[in-house]
Amino acid sequence: MKDTFIAEKDVDQKTVKIAARDVQVWYGDNHAIKDVNVDIEDKTVTAFIGPSGCGKSTFLRCINRMNDTIDICRVTGDIRIDGEDIYDRKVDPVQLRAKVGMVFQKPNPFPKSIYDNVAYGPRIHGLSRNKAELDEIVERALKRAAIWNEVKDRLTAPGTGLSGGQQQRLCIARAVATEPEVLLMDEPCSALDPIATAQVEELIDELRQNYSVVIVTHSMQQAARVSQKTAFFHLGHLVEFGETDKIFTAPEDERTESYITGRIG
Amino acid sequence: MPLFWLFIIVLVIALLGYFAGRMRVMQGAGGDRRNMHSLPSYYGGNVAIKGAAPALLLMLLWMLIQPFYVNYTVSNQIPDSAIADSSSRNLVLSEVRRTANGLDLAVQTGALTSDDANDAQANIADITAALKEAGAVLTSDITQPVLSAAQSYRSMNATGYTLMSVAVIIVAVLGVRWGLREARPEFRARNVVEQAVRWLLIAAASIAVLTTLGIVLSLVFNTIEFFRLYPAVDFFFGTNWAPSFSGRGGSSDLGVIPLLWGTFYISIVALAVAIPIGLFAAVYLSEYASHGVRSVAKPLLEILAGIPTIVYGLFALLTVGPLLVSVFGRDGLGIMQAGTAVVTAGLVMGIMLIPFVSSLSDDIINAVPQALRDGSYGLGATKSETIKQVVLPAALPGIVGAILLAASRAIGETMIVVLGAGAAARLSLNPFDAMTTVTAKIVSQLTGDADFASPEALVAFALGMTLFVITLALNIFALFIVRKYREQYD
Repeated sequence: MKDTFIAEKDVDQKTVKIAARDVQVWYGDNHAIKDVNVDIEDKTVTAFIGPSGCGKSTFLRCINRMNDTIDICRVTGDIRIDGEDIYDRKVDPVQLRAKVGMVFQKPNPFPKSIYDNVAYGPRIHGLSRNKAELDEIVERALKRAAIWNEVKDRLTAPGTGLSGGQQQRLCIARAVATEPEVLLMDEPCSALDPIATAQVEELIDELRQNYSVVIVTHSMQQAARVSQKTAFFHLGHLVEFGETDKIFTAPEDERTESYITGRIG
Repeated sequence: MPLFWLFIIVLVIALLGYFAGRMRVMQGAGGDRRNMHSLPSYYGGNVAIKGAAPALLLMLLWMLIQPFYVNYTVSNQIPDSAIADSSSRNLVLSEVRRTANGLDLAVQTGALTSDDANDAQANIADITAALKEAGAVLTSDITQPVLSAAQSYRSMNATGYTLMSVAVIIVAVLGVRWGLREARPEFRARNVVEQAVRWLLIAAASIAVLTTLGIVLSLVFNTIEFFRLYPAVDFFFGTNWAPSFSGRGGSSDLGVIPLLWGTFYISIVALAVAIPIGLFAAVYLSEYASHGVRSVAKPLLEILAGIPTIVYGLFALLTVGPLLVSVFGRDGLGIMQAGTAVVTAGLVMGIMLIPFVSSLSDDIINAVPQALRDGSYGLGATKSETIKQVVLPAALPGIVGAILLAASRAIGETMIVVLGAGAAARLSLNPFDAMTTVTAKIVSQLTGDADFASPEALVAFALGMTLFVITLALNIFALFIVRKYREQYD
């Protein structure tokens, strides 16, 4: 593992994976997201930064319709993945979520064995025809999440017995195993120590080759390290969106500058 | 009544002590709370504890010891000549106590003046007449030695209680004075009060533990007594239950197997009803129901748990039994003889157990962290997949606990069995037969007029012991299951 890890910053012109237009979110009477327009590119790491309560997690949860599980939440506007409106009546949120994987803030392995944790998604979506194929999927996912070497001898041990960093990588393996096209990460390193954080960040950069990754983070250093694009949210508005280098070196908006220099937030 | 008043007096003294202690320490500290070690109420509490605790303890001890002392002295007063050959000193003593109580009663109702009752020269015939008029229970005519013993019994008790009242009040007052002397600002009153509270808690805990111990011991000793009269092998392996109440043992068959079989059969039917319904209801309430439905439905379900079991018994006897007979009985399928049967009791008991299973399981399912559900939804699982594969496995240990709790209830249930399943001890596989359980037989063995020392009555303790061991084993098994399969989720 490299001591200082900096992701590549050169961004090629890529296709737009997720396009959001005039997205509004209400929690009851609370207007949490206001007029958000953003184009998230394929095979890119996009970071959402901003102070607490600015709506970045809320917006992230709109992308795979996790907000549907909250009764009082209401979403309007238009979010398209590959040109398809995900809030269309015809779209089954369950299928959408299989395509848009999610990793949560706190590692939440199921109280099952490591193997069953990773095999959970492939099993419910019927991605394998037999045991051998499932074994292969599990191994590939664990390898991709850079945890295979640590757990290959104890796949039947409970996933909850792993350390925090291992648990989070297990959760990433679990998300990757269903072969999603987009991977959403909601502060995936906030419960991890610096070493585990570095492992996860390295992993995120590798995942970029196959997926469009969206990561919410409180750490501006982390956003600078792992992302190619950065979006700055403030009080429910998307203030600024652009190349990470540009956001951190020459922000256009005053508020962005205040936030990244530590004056607000 | 005087005892009650004495108690009140001690409490009043303690209460006065409380306020006096508070006031005194406030004066001592110059009215400023910051000059004292503890809050003023702790100083008051200290005085009240010192006033009440020793006094009440003395009262308790006195009441425990006085009867022994009085009995001993009175018993020595009775001359040997007054004890008939067929009798014993103890029997005469209880006659003395009855006479003394009769005298109390007679004085109370006005049949005798208190002077007459205490008159050593009183006419025995007059006294007897007066006692009978007052309605006192006497087994034979009073003799002179019994009467004088009864009179001294009364006077000793009276002086005893007077002495006790005086002593208790003196102790209370002294205690309050002791506490008041301590009511100085630098005294650590809070520590003392907290120590006293600790002792109170220890006392409460030991009462609970000692009572359990006492119950178990009484079961054990009576069971041993039973096995002295009746061979244990015949009890545990006998397949016939036919107690006879005519003779003194010998002709009874007291095999426990038919009763255990009835217990298990009825419990299994009950659990087969309660577990699926209760579990599904819990899943619906905790996962699918909207907030409004849940807030109405859950209390409604819990009302089921509040219905007395005798009412369930009536329901079994008057509604479910006849209903089943009309379907399976002579007019229907012809496989059911009468309304009292295993299915009747099992069904009704199952209904009784639904809230136990559903309410506990509901709480346990609710305790599964939302993060686990989110994780599953985030992978594209549906609600039902999430419940089946994540929520229920995570909640399993608790659900098993709820089921075993319901099983213990089912095994210990009596009234529904008495009214719903009949009283015939029978070894049969047919659920439409009448059967009975261990608990129902305990009731019927103890509610006859059998001699309490006969095996027919003592068998109740052996049955109780068997039941106790079974439920204990079930609980230990439940703990083992829960530990082994616990899936920690954080």
